[in-house]
Amino acid sequence: MANSSDLNAILAMPTTASLTEQRDAYLKTLIATAKAAVPTDLALADLRTRAAALLKEETFPSTRQEDWRFTDLSALLSVNFAAAEASTVAESAIDPLRLPETTGAQIVVVNGVFNAELSQLEQLPEGATVGSLRQLSQNADLMTKLQTRLGQASGSHEVFTALNTVGFQDAVVIYLPRNGVIDTPVQILYIHQGQDTLAQPRCLVVAETSSALTLVEDFWSTGDEVRLTNAVTEIWLEANAQFTHSRIQREGAGTYHIGKTVITQARDSQYIGTAVDFGAKLARHNWETYQTGEQTTTKLYGLGAITNAQHADTHSLVALIHPYGTVEQQHKSIVDGKAHSVFNGRVVVAQKAQQTSASQLNRNLLLSDKARVDTKPQLEIVADDVKCAHGATVSQLQADEIFYLQSRGIRAAQAQRLLIYAFAMEMLERIPLESLRSTLAERITQWT
Amino acid sequence: MSASVQSLVSQPYKYGFTTDIEADVIPRGLSEDVVRLISAKKNEPEFMLEFRLKAYRKWLTMAEPVWPNVSYPPIDYQNIIYYSAPKVKEKKGSLDEVDPTLLETFEKLGIPLSEQKRLANVAVDAIFDSVSVATTFKEKLAEVGVIFCSISEAIHEHPDLVEKYLGSVVPIGDNYFAALNSAVFSDGSFVYIPKDTVCPMDLSTYFRINNGDSGQFERTLIVAESSSSVTYLEGCTAPMYDSNQLHAAIVELVALDDATINYSTVQNWYAGDENGKGGIYNFVTKRGLCAGKRSKISWTQVETGSAITWKYPSCVLVGEGSVGEFYSVALTNNLQQADTGTKMVHVGKNTKSTIVSKGISAAKSKNSYRGLVKIGPKADGARNYSQCDSMLIGDTSSANTFPYIQVQNSTAQVEHEASTSKIGEDQLFYFAQRGISPEDAVSMIISGFCRDVFNKLPMEFAAEADKLLALKLENSVG
Repeated sequence: MANSSDLNAILAMPTTASLTEQRDAYLKTLIATAKAAVPTDLALADLRTRAAALLKEETFPSTRQEDWRFTDLSALLSVNFAAAEASTVAESAIDPLRLPETTGAQIVVVNGVFNAELSQLEQLPEGATVGSLRQLSQNADLMTKLQTRLGQASGSHEVFTALNTVGFQDAVVIYLPRNGVIDTPVQILYIHQGQDTLAQPRCLVVAETSSALTLVEDFWSTGDEVRLTNAVTEIWLEANAQFTHSRIQREGAGTYHIGKTVITQARDSQYIGTAVDFGAKLARHNWETYQTGEQTTTKLYGLGAITNAQHADTHSLVALIHPYGTVEQQHKSIVDGKAHSVFNGRVVVAQKAQQTSASQLNRNLLLSDKARVDTKPQLEIVADDVKCAHGATVSQLQADEIFYLQSRGIRAAQAQRLLIYAFAMEMLERIPLESLRSTLAERITQWT
Repeated sequence: MSASVQSLVSQPYKYGFTTDIEADVIPRGLSEDVVRLISAKKNEPEFMLEFRLKAYRKWLTMAEPVWPNVSYPPIDYQNIIYYSAPKVKEKKGSLDEVDPTLLETFEKLGIPLSEQKRLANVAVDAIFDSVSVATTFKEKLAEVGVIFCSISEAIHEHPDLVEKYLGSVVPIGDNYFAALNSAVFSDGSFVYIPKDTVCPMDLSTYFRINNGDSGQFERTLIVAESSSSVTYLEGCTAPMYDSNQLHAAIVELVALDDATINYSTVQNWYAGDENGKGGIYNFVTKRGLCAGKRSKISWTQVETGSAITWKYPSCVLVGEGSVGEFYSVALTNNLQQADTGTKMVHVGKNTKSTIVSKGISAAKSKNSYRGLVKIGPKADGARNYSQCDSMLIGDTSSANTFPYIQVQNSTAQVEHEASTSKIGEDQLFYFAQRGISPEDAVSMIISGFCRDVFNKLPMEFAAEADKLLALKLENSVG
């Protein structure tokens, strides 16, 4: 890792060339930090070498790159992150985060490492494997099954994903055998604590043919210190697998959260995902789905609610290469204070993906004059026998709607809250867990 | 319809002929000397030479954009002729002195330049390769104070106006091709509509590339003073060559208080053959500045030609209550590539913009809509509505939309919607039931699809555009 005087020397030179150098040097430092944290019993040499090779071709993102045009990470350059270490948190701190519906199927990950004491896994049916990759790495049979999946998803050619692959210290593994159904929803609680730390949580879900699962991933951090969370979740859905996913990001106000969720769908599989971004100083979620067979169903629902100087960026990609697919996507953002919301929704329909039906809608509610929205719903279509539509709107609350409520004796402030609540609930209602839904709704109700 | 379509099929691109005319051509390549030479050839005042040199030096520091969704082999900028003009013996006093070969050429293109033959009430500026050869109805327009002439003429006769407005909307360093154009542009049209004047007739410029090795770099500047209005039409064709030619133009519009400018384009440059050989690279920067209160700029374009189109007619809405409009039909066939759309930049209060874009892609072509709607922090009450629809014909063409929406004001209201569809079997069957052949059915469906845009075109252009689309799509269905 470079010491701080080196970094200061670099910072003193503002030319473009030196900025590029600075970014490259910074990325190298991050890679070294990540590499050093790899435990000896989870070497995964092949996988990590490949990711390291990928990283050699990459640079640290700058706003000159189209993918990062509206999300500026240069603030990170002044922070020297150290790898977060395995740790534990007080039972009392996480109790409020435990969802009653998931009792007996809760996994707690602290600083990217599975915490056995805090996790509860007694409700799991036989055959299903849920646990830490480090602990399961002795199971040769399982490891062979995971080998073709871990770090193999399309879209891993991306700087932060490769960084995670190079350095993740542990991973949550959920393996569902053929026809395996976990009735109890599973909750993974990722907790990040520490200051100037880099945590790299990783999750691998493999759902074999005709299996089913509901999963909640919940990202949380203790306090508002500066941190970098770089999470990667890979989900493999085999034929006819049914998967319902909620991804909740409510990290502390000092956290930089970078997340990747990549779903690979085989024929007839169904993925219904809801992603909620409430927390973090800066959050970026790359949400990608790829198809390996026909007639898949993909539903993506996103909600961002940010204020003050928060920044939330969702880049989604749905890539269809087989026929008869269905895609439904809705993404909503509530932007207040000086917050900045970015949405880039990409739907790609290749020539073979005939009879595809895809719809995408992005709606933004701007609540303050300093707030900012950048959105780009992007369609790339080659197949001709398709029905694709997308839309985007940006506006404030409608004066006539507020007036309507006022005319019925509801105060303006209350009317405003009611409308914001309705706007958000359309997305939150997609979350199948009542307790989680109401906790999140509470947050919206308190919006002023 | 069918009969007329059939009759036209035999010559898919009827403007593909070359005119054999002696031309004044400078050597290939670009350097500071070439820029000076062009300026000297045109006998330009000092400020123009400075303008060009500044642009050229800027251009040297810039890189060709790579973000458009198009691909083409690298352009050798040293292998282009930057100035080509039909040879003249002396300055022409009237149309009678224009080389008859040239008049014939424009006659063939359906643009009769002699005023007595001209039925429609439209004034035309005809541009052949790099220079303006004739401008009709000049005197009649001068009666009401309207200036309509080639930009070279304007540089000599109205240097104050040119110096004031040239480069004020599209700065010389705006983009790679704009910088190139600013350095080497040879001719174009200049329009000035004085205060409180409604231009008595539609104005039009007809562009023709003839030389196979020359690039065409024209420059159009339209200034509409307070409470004036003008309708301007632009048409373009080029001969069929196996090589690609570069066309990098700039159009600048300035509308002051309560002024209205309607700018229509029917672009039919040679598109290359079905194997993608030849055709024009159409890299154009068009931008209008609504500087005055309640001013309005409306762009209507029908893009059917060019091997590659890279064009984003834009409006910068500065004046309070100003209005920007963009209506576009872009059709690509064979191996054509189009990356086109618009930018609506809302700066002032209560500004409004409307975008209607229709893309049709057939065969192996690539058609992209790329648009930007930007609402600045001071644009209270800004309103935008965008609609972009794509139609795919055949399963090897592609349709893409890249709409950027950037909002920094909470009182703004922005809506964007887009759809992609094809001509359904059921639709064709419905027509077949009524005894309408698939060919005719398709052209009817397409003209319906484009109706919103064609309605915005002046009448003669609309009929022309309808025919053009039917012709371009010939044999691509079924």
